[in-house]
Amino acid sequence: MKKIYMAAITAGVLALSSNANAYDSTGCGLGSMAWRGQSGIVPQVLAATTNGIFGTQTFGISTGTSGCDPNGRVTGGTGRMLLAFLENNMEQFALDAAAGEGETLVTVAGILNVDEKTFAGKVQNNFGVLFASNDVDAVDLTLSVMQLAKA
Amino acid sequence: MRYFVFLSLFLLATTARAADFAQSEAWLAAGHYQNGESSIDSPSFFLSKDGKKNPATELEATIKLFAGKDDEKKCLFPSRYLLLKKAGLVKSQFPQCDEYEQFKKDLQPAGVTLLFTDAYMNNPSSMFGHTLLRIDTKRKGTQLLAHGANYGAFTGDEPGALYAVLGLTGGYFGGFTVKPYYDIINTYNNIENRDIWELNLDFSPEELDFFVAHLWEIGQTQSRYYFFSRNCSYMLMEMLDAVRPSLKLARQFPVHAIPLDTFKAAYRAQGLVKGMNYRPSRQNKIRHRYREMTPKQRQAYRNIIKNKQFELPADMSEAYKADVLETAYQYVQYQYVAGDLELKEYRRQSFDALRARSKLGDKGRIGDDFAGNPPLQAHESMRLTVGAGVRNGEGFEEVGLRPAYQSLTDNSFGLPKGAEINFLETRFRHYDEQDKYVLQNFDLLTIRSISPIDAMFTPVSFQIRANVERWQNPQNGREGYIGNLTVGSGGAYAFADWLWGFALLNTKAAYGGFLPHNSWLAFGADLGVMADFGKWKILGEIEPQWASQKIGQQTSYKLEMNYVLSTNWAFGMQALYNDARGDDEEEFSAGFRWYF
Repeated sequence: MKKIYMAAITAGVLALSSNANAYDSTGCGLGSMAWRGQSGIVPQVLAATTNGIFGTQTFGISTGTSGCDPNGRVTGGTGRMLLAFLENNMEQFALDAAAGEGETLVTVAGILNVDEKTFAGKVQNNFGVLFASNDVDAVDLTLSVMQLAKA
Repeated sequence: MRYFVFLSLFLLATTARAADFAQSEAWLAAGHYQNGESSIDSPSFFLSKDGKKNPATELEATIKLFAGKDDEKKCLFPSRYLLLKKAGLVKSQFPQCDEYEQFKKDLQPAGVTLLFTDAYMNNPSSMFGHTLLRIDTKRKGTQLLAHGANYGAFTGDEPGALYAVLGLTGGYFGGFTVKPYYDIINTYNNIENRDIWELNLDFSPEELDFFVAHLWEIGQTQSRYYFFSRNCSYMLMEMLDAVRPSLKLARQFPVHAIPLDTFKAAYRAQGLVKGMNYRPSRQNKIRHRYREMTPKQRQAYRNIIKNKQFELPADMSEAYKADVLETAYQYVQYQYVAGDLELKEYRRQSFDALRARSKLGDKGRIGDDFAGNPPLQAHESMRLTVGAGVRNGEGFEEVGLRPAYQSLTDNSFGLPKGAEINFLETRFRHYDEQDKYVLQNFDLLTIRSISPIDAMFTPVSFQIRANVERWQNPQNGREGYIGNLTVGSGGAYAFADWLWGFALLNTKAAYGGFLPHNSWLAFGADLGVMADFGKWKILGEIEPQWASQKIGQQTSYKLEMNYVLSTNWAFGMQALYNDARGDDEEEFSAGFRWYF
């Protein structure tokens, strides 16, 4: 019965075309993580049957870092933790920074161990400095956020 | 001599205690034993040769392990150690285990939360949802720094269809992976546009310790993965049982474990849940914000989307501007993930929106705090229907059973509206005059997604249906069975929140062995109107069909109504007229629907 069910799903699914078109060379700036693990509607429908995990089978915590800092410009445990967070959350962080409030600001203030409210105000006032160009990347952002928090 | 007697007595006492303990709920749940066999398939999980089927020898071997010197192995079983220590069956210290200590240090556990992720918009096959666990963190900040533990199948590079077949038939092994919670939020909320519901579990510090130890222990293992039965959600039930054996959650799902059902079971378990939280998907945030806007805000928002310039009327207040810009930014993110924007233009629009937003001092008026459509309100997934009707002048009684899950006219409390998935629905009839019992219809699978197109979102509505039904030969009125496979797609439009219309184009293949021309291909349309008044739902459909055999040529008219009596009870009515260019059919029936 399962096999017949599958055949039906498969037949139906093949009728719907996939439109997975990933962009290349997004670097580590805004939107660079949005495509990670992204797939078209067919893989999505099929994925519902396995809840699939692609890749490593050794148990442990995968940090989600993508190697945005090959030259090791960000140092220290706090810095690297902040980088890992910002490169994965830049879209939401940029929005929260512009609004001067939000969960990612609370989180970053927590990582840097600074006062939430003060930090939120600083970030909003210096939005143009933190995001000086449209292509600002996670490493630059991490360094400038750390500097701003200290100032 | 006295020492020897004392030692023997001690050993005897321990053995007796161990014999009892081997059959205790705590030991059986920790070993994931169900009906005399462990669900875990990795041989490394068992210390005794027949440990998979024998909890007693496994306990003996575990006691021996902790009395011995193999520290490396001991490090793989921290939760068994906690259990045996508490039961007084182990006296030794737990060894220094660097990797395990690091695991705990990275997690900094503060609690456990059961997560349910809703259906993908416009993908009914995901309507069953998905569940995972979050290990809350005591780090300063928010739970974004917590970690999610996800149980899933380890898949390879197989082509799509094979991938699904293997997923259904146990061809993959499943196991746990642990990822930062922000990664999970990104995947579900932002990329797949699925809501996340968080159930905070009320675990004592001791239970929390045990959970983390047990996750480490099970994390080293793998088990065969079956989509219906031994799936992500089932394994989580066993995990919660291991922490608190009195819950007995896993045994509620002996045959199949639908994620939403397991989520409800956890919610209903006495003393397990202390709170619930909602994280809307990006798409739902955008919809909510748009709904809350004033007409003037909406106008400004639509202008921005159309012109891609982030300019606002000068006389609009700062708070109102903030709402519009923040929503527009979210919509730009949505478009980028959907593949509708190139990177450069995406970044230009994103930062234009945010630079304008950062210059406003006031906070927005609309937040992302809203109630959502809590899945706990959903009706149960099995449905029994009992009714009676008249077909071509002859009375009949009907009984139907549908193992899962939701039809367009079932109440959509807690479920996505416009999504239908009927699996293995079977209806039997007794005809009065002929005094005959027949199988009227068997739906192998029906999937329908009716999702309205609006200014922001342009989803494709579609349907897939495979069924066997009783059918009337229009040339002589004789009845028999035909099998159908229908695939169609089109669009839907919402005239109002409560009134949707849709139009689909279908291709159909049919086979009926009893007919003179027994197989045909057909091309047709499906034009429908759905009205939803909360308790009342009405669905009207017209389906004209042109077939390669004259016998398949027909136009059918259907009207279905459902009245909700309570979450799990409803009264339904259906009228059908089939213009078959010969012996036409007409049918009316009414009956009760019970969800259980």
